[in-house]
Amino acid sequence: MPLLSIDNLVVRYGEIEALHGVSLSIEAGEVVTLLGANGAGKSTTLRAVSGLLKPAAGDVLFEGRSIAALAPEAIVKLGIAHVPEGRRLFPGLTARENIMLGASNRGRVAKAQLVRESDEMFDLFPDIRPFADALGWMLSGGQQQMVAVARGLMAKPRLLLLDEPSLGLAPVIVQKVFAIIGEIRRRGTTVLLVEQNARMALSMADRGYVLETGRLAVSGKPAELWSNDEVRAAYLGGRIDKDI
Amino acid sequence: MTRRRLVGTLAFAAFTAVIVAAVALIPMQDYTMHILVQTATFSIAVFGLAVVLGLCGQINLAQAAFFGFGAYAVGLGTSTLHLNFWLALVIGMGFALAMGAVLGMTTLRLGGHYLAMVTISFQQIVTLIMVNWIALTHGPDGVSGIQRPALFQSAQAFLAVCVFAMALVGYMVWQLPTTRLGRAMRAVRDNELAAGVAGVNVYRVKVAAFALSAVLGGIGGGLFAGGFSYVSPDQFSFAESIVFITMTLLGGVSSPIGALIGTGLLIVLPESLRFLKSVPGLYLAIYGLAIILIIRYMPDGIWGFVQDRVRRLLPPPPFAGAPEELVLTQAGTASPGQEPPALEVQHLAKHFGGVKAVDDISFQVRRGSVHALIGPNGSGKTTTLNVLSGIYTATAGTVLLAGSDISAVPGHARTIAGLGRTFQNIRLFRSMSALENVVIGAEQGGHHAEVSHAALVERARAALAFVGLEGRAHERVTGFSYGHQRLIEIARALAGQPTLLLLDEPAAGLNSSEKLGLLELLRRIAAKGLTILIIDHDMTLVTQVAEHITVLNFGRCIADGVAAQVLRQPDVIAAYLGTEPDAPAFH
Amino acid sequence: MDLALQLFFTGLGIGAVYALVALGFVLIFRATNVVNFAQGEFSMVGAYLMVVFAVDLQWPYGWAFLAALAGMALLGVIFNLGVYYPLRHRTFLPVIIATIGASIFLANTVLALYGPAPQVLPGWFETPGVQIGPVYLDSQYLLIMAVTIVLVIFNFWFFEHTLLGKKLQATSQDKEMASLLGIPVATMIMLTFVYSALLGGIAGILVAPILFVSIQMGATIALKAFAATIIGGFGDVKGAIIGGLALGVIETFGAAYISVPYKDGFAFLVLVAFLIFRPQGIFGERVAEKA
Repeated sequence: MPLLSIDNLVVRYGEIEALHGVSLSIEAGEVVTLLGANGAGKSTTLRAVSGLLKPAAGDVLFEGRSIAALAPEAIVKLGIAHVPEGRRLFPGLTARENIMLGASNRGRVAKAQLVRESDEMFDLFPDIRPFADALGWMLSGGQQQMVAVARGLMAKPRLLLLDEPSLGLAPVIVQKVFAIIGEIRRRGTTVLLVEQNARMALSMADRGYVLETGRLAVSGKPAELWSNDEVRAAYLGGRIDKDI
Repeated sequence: MTRRRLVGTLAFAAFTAVIVAAVALIPMQDYTMHILVQTATFSIAVFGLAVVLGLCGQINLAQAAFFGFGAYAVGLGTSTLHLNFWLALVIGMGFALAMGAVLGMTTLRLGGHYLAMVTISFQQIVTLIMVNWIALTHGPDGVSGIQRPALFQSAQAFLAVCVFAMALVGYMVWQLPTTRLGRAMRAVRDNELAAGVAGVNVYRVKVAAFALSAVLGGIGGGLFAGGFSYVSPDQFSFAESIVFITMTLLGGVSSPIGALIGTGLLIVLPESLRFLKSVPGLYLAIYGLAIILIIRYMPDGIWGFVQDRVRRLLPPPPFAGAPEELVLTQAGTASPGQEPPALEVQHLAKHFGGVKAVDDISFQVRRGSVHALIGPNGSGKTTTLNVLSGIYTATAGTVLLAGSDISAVPGHARTIAGLGRTFQNIRLFRSMSALENVVIGAEQGGHHAEVSHAALVERARAALAFVGLEGRAHERVTGFSYGHQRLIEIARALAGQPTLLLLDEPAAGLNSSEKLGLLELLRRIAAKGLTILIIDHDMTLVTQVAEHITVLNFGRCIADGVAAQVLRQPDVIAAYLGTEPDAPAFH
Repeated sequence: MDLALQLFFTGLGIGAVYALVALGFVLIFRATNVVNFAQGEFSMVGAYLMVVFAVDLQWPYGWAFLAALAGMALLGVIFNLGVYYPLRHRTFLPVIIATIGASIFLANTVLALYGPAPQVLPGWFETPGVQIGPVYLDSQYLLIMAVTIVLVIFNFWFFEHTLLGKKLQATSQDKEMASLLGIPVATMIMLTFVYSALLGGIAGILVAPILFVSIQMGATIALKAFAATIIGGFGDVKGAIIGGLALGVIETFGAAYISVPYKDGFAFLVLVAFLIFRPQGIFGERVAEKA
């Protein structure tokens, strides 16, 4: 049974239908990437999974159980953590406080325990340890991204939803973030990765899906997708050499 | 004036004449006359709120104070200063207008809750002054012996005057939504940001609405004083402001008929429920509760509910004749080749605190060309666009539109200067029809003062026809598909006769066939010679329509030139498809 | 000079009351982006509850105080459920109007139940005051300042050093993100309303022995609290407190040196002055750039 299964999902924003019946599935332990141009519906899909959006039709099943009608607070308690687009750290709280609040889905946890666990996070993300007590808004994009991912991991999720982690980051930082994603995968967390940087995403993923204007266009293994013309055209038009 | 409107006006005039005559001639008891005077004068004040709150979306919690200005002006003017009634009334109106304008000018630049707070404070202070400045206002004793105008001394004659005034004001408020100012007010209420970008001077429109509401309050108050011959401070307290607001909300927040219904109900009902006044506070407590319930369950008021049903039954008026051909460019005065570029950006920078969203970019957009600005997410494209349209002020650098420096020009004025823009997430005025949305673009765009209003509507119609949606001109925009809403937004920008059309991700959210339609439209726009600057992620669209491309990454320009060449450059490809990972190839 | 010192002290005392009400006001705004126009009525209801328990029912002050607080907490719950929560997705204008309706409803319900005559709430202490050097310290004013200091310290400790306080801050900074982490947003907002109602109620109870307990006291205090938040910088917690204190002092000096009946007008004048010259207040960020 797949860990996550999305069946014919239809999502609307007011009168506008953003997803026209999308289906995908994720097995436990996989890293699956969701690609597509802006406005294709990638973030919408994640938001429907984490409960921020209610589907107009279709279903979202986690371990076989429907979660489409649940509130975000309930879904994160089941073990799905969503690191949204744009990082969204709490600007007035420190990096450590942001990370500690990531455990809010786990019921009563002693503050001392949370401090210990956040220290463990700083082991995983050593670059942000010096900024543990800096306020959210003061951190750079890359630092914010690492804090956001750490915060997501504090929920001890079975499934981690990552929305465009490389957004606005310099290539060197992107490498670091993706190395961390690799580590997360190694530790057994399943990841659904929405990414604009198709190259990096496909190098990390077991499988990929490509969305185009709210529909599934293509899916398969990374090597297949990379050589598929439709994928490249979606990003750069049809005029690019395959060998790049 | 359209035929329908003419017919409506004549009918209204006839109806008014009948009512005024009836009121003047039918014998009635004093009690009935008092109720009618109160209803008529209160209605005028409530019409004022229908304008500022219903039409423009701004809150005014001091309407009783403005009502009081008019009342005291007439009261003190006629009784103490022995002025002519009409002169005193005009003085009262002028004072209310001045106070309303001052109040509006100081607070309307800030958020709505500042306005609410300030109007409450203002109301309280006015009451304080009315009670305490005894030398001027006679304090709690009030002003008695107020005179009526010489020609209308009898109670019934004066009542007729009040009803006539109510009808006149009501007519103006009824017609206001379809005038240029009224449409601008509705745009501000629906979407302030889009209104500004469409060319509306949002601040001035809000102040106008607020001042208008104050004046109407003053007129109502002046007539009220004449009707009752006695005024005292407790009639113009915060409680009365709340009563006015409730009347507005109950009847239907933006229409004069609704206002009249609300006012009538809330004057007549309590009279029949007289026992409520016997327990002090009970009356107003019910008002307070009524406000909460109306807001929760019936936010459009009684008339709003009715109007909604009626609107679906009434067909819209047909157009006269076929739409004209859309004119998109003005003839240039310089010879071609010597004209300045449609847009020139020089060393533009925009920093947000420590974040350099845009970090020294320069490029030119040649007149008559189609130019694309591309770059991966987060590269600074949208920030650049926001700086170009005046939503953000640049940290450094210059923006020249057709040779003139617009770097310091405020957003709405850039539209008049020739910059048309559409948004990534469509910003149409949701309560209006397709045509009305486009008309606003024509009314507020460039050269709007040079032609008649009818010509502007024709221009709007032409723009709508150009994008292929003239057949559905009177439908509310919320009924259109996303792709069509995008087209309406483009038509709105075109109707303003722009020098440069700025399109922010026009293909976002469109399906493949809608994209083809968009591509075809863009080609037709370019064929008419209008300069286009487009930002989009859809490379297929961009490569098929753009002649020149500027590529941004991390807030800087990494490529600029002819489309085909730019897209072959390795650093551009890397910026988009992503960098090489350290780990080996795919599995 | 003695007079100035006396006035200063008195001003701080009354300013502390404004500070408490302003604090409750700002907390609700930060959590919900709503300006609660009924905040002043919370103070009024608190004072009346105290009258009910301490004067009518003759309970000892301590018990009466606790009972009044319980009543205020309940009012906070009902207010949230009845007024804010059903309208939380609407634009701010309907919500403002609804809170105004609530304030009218509260003020006039109390009026209907109690009648228009002002009530008297005796002070807490036997000794009316203490003379220290040139300054006479009225014991009620001393109490107000002491309680305010305690509450401000508690407020700081709660929000900066407890997990719950951090969760409340997170909710007010980014509701959606908070819900994604599992923070129960609706509960957090409920807590905010209850806390603000308690703050307002305590302010009303503290100031009641000095002013009369009347229906209008809520509106007057609210006006001052609004002015205080503008002075301090709208949405800023320490700004609300400092603004309240400053306003109390300005008002007291104004009443003594300029005019008594227009004392309440100073708040308005200061408010307008700040709105014209420095709308972001002392501590606020720039208000104007609306993107």
